[in-house]
Amino acid sequence: MIREYLTFLYRCFRLSFVGTAGYYLWMFALSVISLLGLNAYCKQFVLGMGVTGMSDHVSWGLYIANFAFFVGMAAAAAMLVIPVYIYRNRELSHLVIFAQLLAVATIIMSLLFVVVDLGRPDRFHHMMLRFNFPISMLTWDVISLNGYLALNLHICGYLIYTAYRRREPTKLFYIPFVMVAIIWAFSTQLVEAFLYCGLGGRPFWNSAVIAPRLVASAFAAGPSILIIALHVISRTTDYQVPEKAFLTLRNIVRIAMAASFFLLMSELFTEFYTDSAHVASARYLFLGLDGRYGLVPWIWTALSLNAIGLVILFTPASKSRGFLISACAMMIVGVWIEKGMGLVIPAFIPSPLGEIVEYKPTLNEWMVTAGITAFGFLVFTILVRVTIPVLSGKLAFDRPYDPARNEGPAETAPTASNATGS
Amino acid sequence: MSIRIHEGKSAGTEVTRRSFLRTGTAVAGGMAALAAALSPLKDLKPEEEFSLEKFIQKHYKEMTPDDMKGALDRITREVEHRYKVRPEVRDMRPKAGVEFVYALNLSRCIGCRKCVYACVEENNQSRAPEIQYIRVIEMPRGTLDLEKGNHHYERPTVPDGDHFYMPVQCHQCANPPCVKVCPVEATWQDDDGITVIDYDWCIGCRYCEAACPYWARRFNFVKPEIPEADINKDMGYLSNRPRPKGVVEKCHFCLHRTREGRLPACLEACPTGARKFGNVLDPNSEVSQILKTKRVFVLKEEVGTLPRFFYYFDERYPRSLDPEAKQVALSLGYTPGAGGWTPPAGDPARAIGGGEVAR
Amino acid sequence: MSGAGRTSLVLWLIGPAFLGVAAYLALVAPPATIPIGEMKIIPSDAVKGGAWRQAKVDARGVVAGSDRPCSECHKLFTTPPGENKALVQHKDIVMNHGMNTRCLNCHDGDDRDKLVLHDGTTVSFADTPRLCSQCHGTVYRDWQLGTHGKTLGSWDAKDEKHRRLTCNECHEPHSPAYKPMKPLPAPTTLRMGDQSMPKEHHGKESPLRRRSASPHEGGPEHGEPAEPSQDKTPMEPGQPAEKGGGK
Repeated sequence: MIREYLTFLYRCFRLSFVGTAGYYLWMFALSVISLLGLNAYCKQFVLGMGVTGMSDHVSWGLYIANFAFFVGMAAAAAMLVIPVYIYRNRELSHLVIFAQLLAVATIIMSLLFVVVDLGRPDRFHHMMLRFNFPISMLTWDVISLNGYLALNLHICGYLIYTAYRRREPTKLFYIPFVMVAIIWAFSTQLVEAFLYCGLGGRPFWNSAVIAPRLVASAFAAGPSILIIALHVISRTTDYQVPEKAFLTLRNIVRIAMAASFFLLMSELFTEFYTDSAHVASARYLFLGLDGRYGLVPWIWTALSLNAIGLVILFTPASKSRGFLISACAMMIVGVWIEKGMGLVIPAFIPSPLGEIVEYKPTLNEWMVTAGITAFGFLVFTILVRVTIPVLSGKLAFDRPYDPARNEGPAETAPTASNATGS
Repeated sequence: MSIRIHEGKSAGTEVTRRSFLRTGTAVAGGMAALAAALSPLKDLKPEEEFSLEKFIQKHYKEMTPDDMKGALDRITREVEHRYKVRPEVRDMRPKAGVEFVYALNLSRCIGCRKCVYACVEENNQSRAPEIQYIRVIEMPRGTLDLEKGNHHYERPTVPDGDHFYMPVQCHQCANPPCVKVCPVEATWQDDDGITVIDYDWCIGCRYCEAACPYWARRFNFVKPEIPEADINKDMGYLSNRPRPKGVVEKCHFCLHRTREGRLPACLEACPTGARKFGNVLDPNSEVSQILKTKRVFVLKEEVGTLPRFFYYFDERYPRSLDPEAKQVALSLGYTPGAGGWTPPAGDPARAIGGGEVAR
Repeated sequence: MSGAGRTSLVLWLIGPAFLGVAAYLALVAPPATIPIGEMKIIPSDAVKGGAWRQAKVDARGVVAGSDRPCSECHKLFTTPPGENKALVQHKDIVMNHGMNTRCLNCHDGDDRDKLVLHDGTTVSFADTPRLCSQCHGTVYRDWQLGTHGKTLGSWDAKDEKHRRLTCNECHEPHSPAYKPMKPLPAPTTLRMGDQSMPKEHHGKESPLRRRSASPHEGGPEHGEPAEPSQDKTPMEPGQPAEKGGGK
C-alpha cells in the first residue's frame, strides 16, 4: 500500500520534469525568480528587516499585504466547492480539484509571506512551546491556515489518488472534509480580518465591515485567477474545460465584485460623512494627507481596474474569452492593490502619534515578494501538471507514465467527477 | 499562442546519453544557481547569532533559578565579548504591594528632550539606527489633537510660547493590546503593572507594534549599535540588556532601577520636575496625591487600554492677567509694558539689572 | 523546428542559463542597503540626573579670595530698610522675582546669615520652603503633597534615600522663573530621510481647523535632517530670561 503510494509520488515527481518547450521555459523562469527571491531573503536574514522599507511607523508592509491577498485567494476555492458539492453541479466537478490545488499553492505562499515577515524566523519553534491561543488572533491564523492546507491537501490528494487507483472514492473519506473545508474557508477570511479589525489603536482597521470586505474581494479575485488558470490549461493541454465553468465562475466574480464595491461604499460613507479624526488614514489613502500622496495613485488605479472589470463582466462582451480574461486580470491586480497597499499600509499612516511617515517597498522586498509568488506558481504548475494526466486516465497505477503511449486517447476511467456527481 | 504539451520522445541509447548529459548540465546549473542564491548566508556569524544554549533557553516564566543563572551568565559573556565591559546583569522581580504609575505635568514640561536621551543612555538603546522610547511632541496651544503635533521641532530655545510639550512613552496599560496579540507570550504584564518583553523569546512578528495605540514599541530592524564607552553596565534581564536584532523593545519604567526603589532615568534627568513616579497602591505616594488632587487625563481613553501614565496640567492663573495684582503694581509705581512690569525709577531692582515682573 | 527539437534546445539552454543566473547572483547582484542615519553624540552631562541647581544651604560667600560667612562683611555694610540705593556688591544677581524687589524682603537685615519671614522670625538658608510658602501658598501645598517639584533617590517615601528637592534646588530665588534652554536634537527615525516632501500644515495653527495649508515658519519639517551644527552641541541652560520662560 505504502509502496504503491510512493510509486505514485515518484511517477508524479518524474512527470513534473516532462513537458514542452513552453513548459520548460515557464518553469525555468519561475525557478529563476524564486532563486532571486531566495537570494534576497538570505540578505534579509543576514542583515535584518532593515533591508525592507518598513519602519517603526509602518511596521507591516508588502509581505503582510501579500499575505492578506493570498489567504483570500485560498479561501476562494470554497466558492467552487459549494456549487459542486452542495448544489451538485456536475460540470464543475473536476474544476473543484483545480480550485483546491490553487488553494494549496496560495496557502503555501501565505505561510511563506508570514515567515519572511518575522524578525526571528529561527525562533519559530516558540510557537509550539508557548502558543498564546486563543487570545492572539495570529495563533488563530496559524491554525486556520495550516488546517485549511491540510484539508485541501487531503481532499485533492485523496481524489487524485483514487483516480490514479481507478477506484470510486469513498464518500466518507472526503465529503465530511469537504463540508468542513467550506466552513473553514470562510473562517480563514474571518480570522484574517479579525487580525486587523480587533486593534482599537488603528481606527482604519477597527471596522466591522473589514471581514465581509475581505470575503467579497477574495471571492472576486480567487475565481478570477482560476478563470485565467483554466483558460491556460485548456489552451496548453488536451484537458477540456467546459464553457459552463467559465460562465459560472464569471457569475461568482461578478457578484463578489459588486458586493465588494457595495461594502467599500458603506465604508467610505461612514468614514468621510462622519469626518471624525479617524478619517485621517482613509483620507491619506484616497486623497492624500498634508502633502503626502504615496498611496493615492495606487488606490485609484485599483478602483478603476475593479470598476472597468466589473462593467465588462456585466456586458455581453464578457462572453468573449478575451474580454473575460482581461477583466479578470484587471480585477486580480485591482484586488491585490486594494487588499495590500489599500488595506494594510494606510492603517499605519498617520502613526498613532500623528506622524506621517510613508512606506515604499525596497527592491529587496520586491524581490522576496516576487520570489514567493513565483514559487507559488511553480507549485501550482507542478500540481496541475501531474493532476491532468491522472484525471484524464493517462496516468494510473496500471498505466505508468509512458511518453509514447500518453499520446494515445484517454481511457475511460472512473475519476473523481463520476464519484462526486452521483 | 498555443503550447501543447508534447510528451512523446523516441527512445534510444544515443538519445539517452545525450539526454543524460542535458539533464546533467541543467541540474548542475540549477545547483550552482541555488548555491549562489544562498551565498549571502556566508556573512552570517552563527557563533554570535545562534547557539544551542539560546535555542533551548526556556520562556522566562518557565525558567528555574538555575536556568536563569545560566542565561544571565550567557548574557554577561556576550556583552563582555561584544562591548569589552563586564556588566552586572540581574533578574529583577516585581515587589508585592507595588503598582507603578507615572504622572506627567504638562504645565511644567518645557520640551528639552533630556528625558529622551537619558533614557537612551540608561537603557542601552541603539544609537544607529536610532531607537528612542520617548517622543516629545510639540503641540500648538488650544488642541490635544496629536496629528497637529510636531515631533521634529528644532528651536534655539524651548519652550516656545505658542506651544506646549507632550512626552509620550509606553503607558504600561492595565489592559494592554500588545500583550493580547503576541502569538508566543513573549510580552506580558507583571504584577507591578509593567509590561515586559523577553527579548530571547520574541519572534519579531511586530503584531504588538501594530496593536499599540501609543506608538510605544520599537523594532530592531538591524543589529543595534552602541559605542562601547556608552554601555550602561547595570543591566536587567527584562529591561536594558543589549537586544539582538529582530526583536521588539520598549519603555519598561526602568524596572532594573524602580524595582529596587530607585527612580526612572527620565525622571531624574527632567530639569523641571514635570515627571512623577510612584506606587499607586500607597495612598500617600506622590502619584496617588496627583490622582487625588489634580485633574488628570490619559491619552486615547476611548480605546480602553487603561494606561498607567497620566497627564495633568496645573497652570496657575497668569499674574499679568490678575486685576488685583495689577492694582498693587500700579500703586507701587510700576509701569506696564509689553513684556511685563518695569519698576519705578530709583528702585534697586533696576540698579541690579532686574527688570520685568514674570507672568 | 519540430516540437521535440525545440524542447531539446530549451533543455540544452537551461543548464547554461542557470549558470548565468549563478554568476549574476555571485558577482553582479547589488548588495542590500540599509539606511542607518548618523550617530548622535550627546554628552552625558547634558542628561545627568539630579538637582537642577546647586542651592545655597549655608550663608557663606567667597569675597576677595576667601570664603567667609555673610555676616562677616555685613557687620560693616548694613542697609537700612526702605532706603533705595544702587548695589555696589552682588552685581551678578539678576533680580526677576515679580514685585518682590527688596533684598530685605527675604534676607534678615540684622542677621545676614539668616532669612526672615514677614513676622520677623528668622529661618536658615536651608529652610527656604518656609520662606517661599508665605507668598506661594498653593505651590507650597502642592510641594508638600509631592505634586509640585522634584523627588530624587527613591519613589518610596519610606526609603531613606527619598528626598524632595527644596525650592531653591530648582529655582534661583532672585529670578525663579525657568530660563528657556536649547532642546536636545530631534529624533531621526529609520527611513525618515525618505520623507522629503514638505509637510504642509503647522502654519499658524488654529485649534478650530483640522488641516491648515500655510507652510510652517519655524524649525525643520518632518523628515528633514536636523542641522548638523545643532546635533552635537551640548545644551546649556541659559539665555537671559524672557517673558513666560518658565510659566
